[in-house]
Amino acid sequence: MAATAKKKPKQSPSGQTVIEGNSVTKVFGETVTALEGADFNIRSGEFISLVGPSGCGKSTLLRLVAGLIEKTSGDLTVNDEEVTKPRTDIGMMFQKAVLLDWRTAIENVLLPSEIQHRITQDDKQKAMASLDLVGLKGFEFHFPKQLSGGMQQRVALARLIQTGANIMLMDEPFGALDEFTRERLNVELMRIVGELKATTLFVTHNIQEAIYLADRVLVMTPRPGRIAKIIDVNFERPRDISIQTSREFNIIVEEVRDTLGSH
Amino acid sequence: MKLLSFLISFAKYSLSFIFVLGLWEVYARYGGLNELFLPRPSKIGDKLYNLFFKFQIIEQGTIYWHFFATLAQMSIGFCYGIVIGNSLAVLAAFNETFRRYIAPYAVVFNVTPGIAVLPLIIAWFGFGWESKIALATLVCFFPPFINTLTGLLKKNDEAIELFQTIGATQSQYFWKQQLPNALPEIFAGLKLAITTALLGTIVAQFGSATEGVGILMQRFAFRLDMAGSFASLVTMAIMGLLVFTIAELLDRRIVFWRDTKGLERVSKKKQRKLSTDG
Repeated sequence: MAATAKKKPKQSPSGQTVIEGNSVTKVFGETVTALEGADFNIRSGEFISLVGPSGCGKSTLLRLVAGLIEKTSGDLTVNDEEVTKPRTDIGMMFQKAVLLDWRTAIENVLLPSEIQHRITQDDKQKAMASLDLVGLKGFEFHFPKQLSGGMQQRVALARLIQTGANIMLMDEPFGALDEFTRERLNVELMRIVGELKATTLFVTHNIQEAIYLADRVLVMTPRPGRIAKIIDVNFERPRDISIQTSREFNIIVEEVRDTLGSH
Repeated sequence: MKLLSFLISFAKYSLSFIFVLGLWEVYARYGGLNELFLPRPSKIGDKLYNLFFKFQIIEQGTIYWHFFATLAQMSIGFCYGIVIGNSLAVLAAFNETFRRYIAPYAVVFNVTPGIAVLPLIIAWFGFGWESKIALATLVCFFPPFINTLTGLLKKNDEAIELFQTIGATQSQYFWKQQLPNALPEIFAGLKLAITTALLGTIVAQFGSATEGVGILMQRFAFRLDMAGSFASLVTMAIMGLLVFTIAELLDRRIVFWRDTKGLERVSKKKQRKLSTDG
């Protein structure tokens, strides 16, 4: 059990339930069961990793929470409200940065504000601060094509921060980046969501990454997609990258592997 | 440094051009070419000089009048063409039924040589400007239609999801993502349309006209005034180059994000703007 890795009591705010799923099922078409009977309960400020191979329904689960697709059956609530459509307190990040090529970094960050209302001076200052927070000070007026892949994802993160959403859904946001860039971004992501006290759902197929970032790891298995196990990760925060080589860390890695392998 | 290298390459191209013309001239002078087929460059040059700088009147007007008439007919036809083409494209992009029903007509229309309906156009619109404008419109609306449609239908699932998650409406998605995202294709369509509009105008002038570069070309050729015909051809080329260059410049200005130079230019401009705004 993960309890063996327990060193300290949980650090994350053990607030109230924000996202709750009871036997959430999603069937595409008539026959493709992407997600079956998912039960989960995510508390305010928690960082949850969803890990598993392709086809295990992790992206489906994320999109259900985002309100981008409709569940087939079961209950799914965010802040005690049934999810039926996208909501402004939930923001999302994708594998691609999805930036508008004809807008500078800051104009991209301002997009969510612009969708809601006329841009104010406040929004601009907030956007500057968001870009600063993700380490892009001085790049405000660069266009996406003038930025590296890692920097583009930083802009996407700043845009997510700009929405003011306190629930952040991330669909393999650094999956297309090289190993070094990804590692660095993970460290910063942890710092940023910690500062914002945001509740985060992070989809990945990288086991180390999943454990390193998370308070809890939802291990998912395919055909049909389901949550096979929920594992607590109780390392103290802020976490150093070196914990990845520790014995406790690797015990959890083994546990995830075993869960995935036994299916 | 930049200017120097530009001047050098300009000189190289000019020299090679002059060399070819010179060869042609010499060969023609020593009787190598029948001037009834191919007049020598100096004669074409002479004709152009007479037309453009001596204001020689031909068919009741100077070359400038014919040039202007053609340009005007072409521009009006082009405007009609892009309005029709783009409107149809937007309709087709948003209405799948419409798209499905219009598809076969689009295919048939595309394979039918538009120029060939000139007799019909003349029967409908007469011998005046209307028939020139109509043919220009007819032959030029298709490229904007198909290009704009392609641009608007570019698949972009993640952008759609992003706009949904930030609570955007359909029309916000259209104006902020779909339309700008289609601009490169839209401009590709416009550039094709502008040259085909010119083609349509000139061919319509062949049918019958009292003014236009097309009618000049025809009259000169019928009189076996080859130098005059070639001078008309050069005039058409100048016109084509002119309108295409305008389209190209607009394209680079508006769709600036296509190349690094454009990106750098606009990026610097925005930065400057901020520092002057305070």
